[in-house]
Amino acid sequence: MFGRKPSAAPGPRPRLRIGIPRTLNIWSTHQFWIGLFEALGIEARSIVFSSDTSEEQGREFGRGRGTVDCCYPVKCMSGHYGELIFGQKRRIDVLFSPMIYSLPSMLHGHVADSLACPRVMAAPENIRAGFTREKDVFAEQGIRYLAPLVSLGDPRLVAKQLHPALAEMLPGLPMKEVQRAVDAGYQALSAFNDRLRGRSREILAWCAREGRPCILVLARPYHMDPGIGHEIETDLQAHGYPILWSQYLPTDGDLMDWLFGEQVRAGEIRSPFDIADVWPTSYSANTNEILWGAKFAARTPWITCVIRLTSYECGMDQPTYTPVQQTVERSGTLYFSFQDLDSTKPAGSVKIRVETIAYYLERMSADIIGRKQARMPPGCPLLG
Amino acid sequence: MNQTSPYRTYRPAPFTPEERGQVEILFGGLHWRAERLIKAVFENLGHRARILPTATREDLLAGRELADVGQCCPTSFTTGNLANFLRAEASRIGAEETARRYVYVTAGSCGACRFGQYHQSYELALRNVGLEAFRLFLVAQDRMDQGALAGGGLKVDMPLTLGILWAILCADALQSLEYQVRPYEVVPGETDRVVAACVDHLEQAFRNRPQRDGKWGSLAWHLGTGYFVEALREVYRRFEAIEVDRLRVRPVVKITGEFYLQTVEGEPNHNMHRWLEAEGAEVYPAAIAVWLDYWMRFYVQGFEDEVGVDRTARAKIAAVRALQRVFGWTYDRLRAALGGIPHALPDQYELRRLAAPYYHHRLSGGEGDMLVGKALWAHLNRRAHMICELSPYACMPNTMSIGAMAGVLGKHPDLLYAPLEIKGDAEVHALSRCQMILTEAKKRAQREYEEALERTGLTTERARALLEAHPEMRRATYRVPHAGAAGTAANLVLHLAARGRA
Ligand code: SF4
Ligand code: SF4
Repeated sequence: MFGRKPSAAPGPRPRLRIGIPRTLNIWSTHQFWIGLFEALGIEARSIVFSSDTSEEQGREFGRGRGTVDCCYPVKCMSGHYGELIFGQKRRIDVLFSPMIYSLPSMLHGHVADSLACPRVMAAPENIRAGFTREKDVFAEQGIRYLAPLVSLGDPRLVAKQLHPALAEMLPGLPMKEVQRAVDAGYQALSAFNDRLRGRSREILAWCAREGRPCILVLARPYHMDPGIGHEIETDLQAHGYPILWSQYLPTDGDLMDWLFGEQVRAGEIRSPFDIADVWPTSYSANTNEILWGAKFAARTPWITCVIRLTSYECGMDQPTYTPVQQTVERSGTLYFSFQDLDSTKPAGSVKIRVETIAYYLERMSADIIGRKQARMPPGCPLLG
Repeated sequence: MNQTSPYRTYRPAPFTPEERGQVEILFGGLHWRAERLIKAVFENLGHRARILPTATREDLLAGRELADVGQCCPTSFTTGNLANFLRAEASRIGAEETARRYVYVTAGSCGACRFGQYHQSYELALRNVGLEAFRLFLVAQDRMDQGALAGGGLKVDMPLTLGILWAILCADALQSLEYQVRPYEVVPGETDRVVAACVDHLEQAFRNRPQRDGKWGSLAWHLGTGYFVEALREVYRRFEAIEVDRLRVRPVVKITGEFYLQTVEGEPNHNMHRWLEAEGAEVYPAAIAVWLDYWMRFYVQGFEDEVGVDRTARAKIAAVRALQRVFGWTYDRLRAALGGIPHALPDQYELRRLAAPYYHHRLSGGEGDMLVGKALWAHLNRRAHMICELSPYACMPNTMSIGAMAGVLGKHPDLLYAPLEIKGDAEVHALSRCQMILTEAKKRAQREYEEALERTGLTTERARALLEAHPEMRRATYRVPHAGAAGTAANLVLHLAARGRA
């Protein structure tokens, strides 16, 4: 997931090692950061992401650093900071933990806004306090802590927002170069997203051709972290069902028209990416995408099952439970949710539920595909 | 897995102009003074309006049961509050009649946190009590002129918005005065009696507010008129009759926290204001105006990010800052009508500067950087001995700034800070936690008072004698200037000494 390709870098840069916590919305923007730093001449191998979340990581590096009780994805961030500070063979020079204010989203322009969750944007301030309240651990370890606020949902602002922090790291860095790096970051991100969307389309086309079912995961991007989402979807995949994530669903015009064209023409929504019919106050990027994913699943015949993952004490997901479930279930699609996920994987109950889901999928998928297909217009581009 | 018609979000049926005067507009969620004046504004514009009763613990439980268990507690309180009211009405007059007779109007269409998603909880609760036909409308709190809500029965235009704004400012000024008087009143209960009469008087003034045509006509009138100043002058005259003893040493406790919890006075915040007063504190309440001022700053900050990117950004900043100045000027005018006693609005840019090392000003949701900023502002400027932060269970932004406060306390270990998680239950726990810190605040107030005596060479007896000689200083309307102490008694001693020297 967090892979990187070496790229031609501009002139030599000081051999900086940059640590980035592999948490929260870094999961959906890592390619931007890799692209950006590489364009600034930082070698790919000098960009260090903390490892996936784990209980051991929290125990070893995060203990005693928490400042407040809140949702698990934020709470476990202390372990990531600690691992980057204390757990590296070669010390990092910079801990880079951007405060992501808004997010790039395929729904951007069709919804009210694309903000990050208030906890996502503020988490770095909160976690930092745990490393500075008694003594400044960063200073003590000779690590520069940089946490610029960045509106990734509004590319016009990004270079300006990042410039001060990046210039602190690379003195004398001109704005022009930051702008070039930001552009490179966006290019890397959209190339990556396009690749994954292409993959999802291939899966859907295969399902359509073969008449086979697949599963859509509706979750926040960081539920891809095995320590947060507990790889529930991998267990299902082991039963032979391809898995799609809502963040990487295909968005090609032909497919959008087939799925949402009727609703658009009826004037119910303004575009295929408009979710006002199910979620009028569409401010939050990840929430919006989950709702849109639910609509996508409801219309796509071969998605016969939706899995919803939510974390313990998530304030954002709570109000979406009913609309998401209703949107999916009223289409005749199977819906299962795993709520309140925290540090420990409830292995036993997950196993039983996964088996139950697989059982239903096995028994009902053909029927679900048939009924959903009957409701859709002819000319499915997936079959073309 | 039966398939049915696709899920669609709730859309309220229209509220038509013909229904105006028959339909009652329900609203609530602020402190009672502001609510009463806002009701009068609705009535002034030809509407019928009703204030929902202050939420109770039963409402909290209903909110959890009817919407989501894990939602932030203000959502639970307000959802349950509305649902319980409607349920009671439905059993009295029937569901259909309830849906016909009332509409609910609330702010809430913004931003990052649950505040922007309240509709979902309300909607779920309505479905769960079988009142899908009931009409509720969300009003964007950041737009002055939004036109008519669906159906045209309620126009969110300048006369309404400005009326509500002035109602809030007058209510804030009155509340601030009241809280600086009651702890020192010589005749117990007198302040409450006077405040009740003053709210009646102001309510009357808002109900009879002269109408001005057009957007700009209305704005010009509100800015230029002496109408509200005069109404507050009358409040001032009534307060003049209250005798106070400001030599009582009381710790000043500044209330901060999430908007709803810091604003309401009642069970949602364990009646914290009254409880603190009963425990011997002077409460520094959270003015709604501060939050409105913050909203303007928030826009300024958004435009600041665009400087160098958008050519109009500087002009937009200038425009909003001008608006902020007009807003501050208006509030100061109203404060002046009450003898300048109500607390001034803190400078938003100072709050931002103070919070900056700990909490970025652009982080949005809830009170943003203000919780950190206000705590530091009150502490460093000696405006309060202690901060009582009312933090809702499961609030997203609030948990983040409380976490950041750990950093603040690391640097300012002498800042007395009581963050209380408000869940609706666990009242004893919250209050005893607060009491522990209050005990320390009392000691500080006492120490500060003794130091003031020592510095001035006065004794309490001598100070009393000076007060006896100046009866005007024993009136509630006498303004004791801030002389560098947080406590009223200490400031009074310093003031007496300075007067003696003059
Ligand atoms: S979306 Fe939920 S889980 Fe994620 S940071 Fe926000 S509150 Fe926590
Ligand atoms: S600020 Fe907190 S308590 Fe208030 S609505 Fe937002 S999440 Fe809920």
